[in-house]
Amino acid sequence: MRTRGLTLLLILTMIASLALTTVAKEKVLRVINWKDYGSDVPWAVKAFEQKFGVKVVHDYMASEEELLTKLRTGGIGKYDVALPNIAYVPIAINENLLEPIHTEKLTNYKQLFAKFRGMKELRKGNTIYAVPWVWGSTSLAYNSEVIKEDLTSLSALWDPKYKGKITFHDDFTDAIMTAALVLGQDPNNPSDLGAIKKKLIEQKPLLKTYWSQGDDWSKLFAAKQIVIGNAWSGQSAAMRNEGQPLKYVIPKEGAIGWVDSWVVVKNAPNRDLAEKYIDYMIGADFLTRWAKEGSPAPASEAVLKTLPKQVSADLMLDQATIDRLSYISYRPSAVLRQWDELWQEVKATP
Amino acid sequence: MPPGERAWRNTLVLPPAAWLLLFVVMPLAIMFCFSLLTEVPGPTTKAVFTLQNYVKFFTKDFYRLLTWKSITMGVWVTAICLVISYPMAYYLAKVVRRHQTTLLLLVIIPFWSSFLVRAYSWVTLFMEGGVLERLLGKLHLISGPLQFLFTYPAIIVALVHIYFPYMVLTLFVSLEKIDDRLIEAAQTLGSRPWSTFWRVVFPLSLPGVVAGAMLVFIPAIGSFVEPRILGGLAGTVIGTVIEDQFLVVYNWPLGSALAFLLLVIMLLVLGGTAGIRKLAAGRTGGER
Repeated sequence: MRTRGLTLLLILTMIASLALTTVAKEKVLRVINWKDYGSDVPWAVKAFEQKFGVKVVHDYMASEEELLTKLRTGGIGKYDVALPNIAYVPIAINENLLEPIHTEKLTNYKQLFAKFRGMKELRKGNTIYAVPWVWGSTSLAYNSEVIKEDLTSLSALWDPKYKGKITFHDDFTDAIMTAALVLGQDPNNPSDLGAIKKKLIEQKPLLKTYWSQGDDWSKLFAAKQIVIGNAWSGQSAAMRNEGQPLKYVIPKEGAIGWVDSWVVVKNAPNRDLAEKYIDYMIGADFLTRWAKEGSPAPASEAVLKTLPKQVSADLMLDQATIDRLSYISYRPSAVLRQWDELWQEVKATP
Repeated sequence: MPPGERAWRNTLVLPPAAWLLLFVVMPLAIMFCFSLLTEVPGPTTKAVFTLQNYVKFFTKDFYRLLTWKSITMGVWVTAICLVISYPMAYYLAKVVRRHQTTLLLLVIIPFWSSFLVRAYSWVTLFMEGGVLERLLGKLHLISGPLQFLFTYPAIIVALVHIYFPYMVLTLFVSLEKIDDRLIEAAQTLGSRPWSTFWRVVFPLSLPGVVAGAMLVFIPAIGSFVEPRILGGLAGTVIGTVIEDQFLVVYNWPLGSALAFLLLVIMLLVLGGTAGIRKLAAGRTGGER
């Protein structure tokens, strides 16, 4: 009895180890991305796996800082591709965490908006290290049932008319860049932080509250606690689709933009495959389907032609909008700390 | 003590001592080291010794302003908890004779739900057009919208609700220990109820008051979740600044320094209450 049990166990172990080795022999492409952020939708994973006979494995990040940490501590030679915001690409390039990308091998590369391809964060000298994927903006949004006029200026967020009905993002980057835009300073390189601080303190008595999560915004809006505020483009589009009377505008001063980009990790185990994967991710096939499911704005111009008019209008996929945004660029940590301290000081002011 | 027994004793002490060393002393020591650096040491960052993080606290007014705000917040919460909990605990310990366990259980039940859930429940309750507004409107106590959410008092209410069970439980324990015969003796000797309470019951319950106050005050001044969710524009306290240093700007050194200064303040308060306790012990003729 005993020996039989042992034999069975032995056989089971052998089968298990055999199965494990087969899995290990199968090629695996390791991706780092946010959870539920396009690349991990089952149909996309399946499509790529079948086409290239590879297994796509996702590892998730909770912040860009975590992504950098993953790459610094043992990620090199383990992961193939990752998705940082372009503001973080220069740090990764300088720390030698990335491989150059052969953009000539990417069949869909030329379909990307030239504006995004040309961003300085993506390259060092003539070498390109990152491929733009999706983008979005943070700008003025308001309740069009309450505010009948067409708002065209960010200064509406400082308008005493809306006292007690305004909300503002509790985020030092958005706060300082928005104030800089209103004051006519360069939002990525503000010249007078003192004036920005004053402007932000001046706004406080007019606000209902600050918002931090996207969920806060939609609740405040739906409960009619606020009628105006700065908001995310993607969330505004989603809320409009739900039938909320929300209007999202890029005002005359411009607005804040962000871009997420794909990179190939240094010493990626599957270098060629990594580039093929990025090519698939930026292709119209993938981006169109994801856009219909509610993606952020795709960085590809080719997608425009394949998307229904309403969807592309909702995502504001027009060249004019893209050109008017100030994209959050790379900032050294000393600047980040300075900005955070300014924002804490504003919030601490009674 | 025979050597064998001493060895046995040392062995018994070892696990808790190791636990304290590993999970209390070491993390605090690491945090203290961080607080003296310019950066979190990493493969590409160069960390240099500095006192800058502590200097900031004393040169930038708003850090002290926010710390003071957190302390006053803690005082309010503790005082309100005490006022609410004392009669409750007294009732549980000295008046109720049946269903004591059930009633205590009712006090503890809020502990079973996450404090995050409780904070969000208050949002629903306090919201304009929310349950409380409609109720008060029906009772003709207010007219128009209830402007309570996103104010400082809203934070206090949530914190009181979260921490008062600690106060009730510690007060209950110390009130229950008071010998009923002492109260009877006071009454027999002609003491009026109020004077019996002030001169017999309350002094004897002081250790419980102090312990309860500490259990409420210390977490209350370090709180950051409730201020963030319910405080709106008034929701910035030293706790939220510390949280942001760790989670948003990755300035762990400054976050550690601020946390350490808060710890020092708490220790000073604890030292102060030890004095009160001694005083109480003196008044009642010995610690019970």
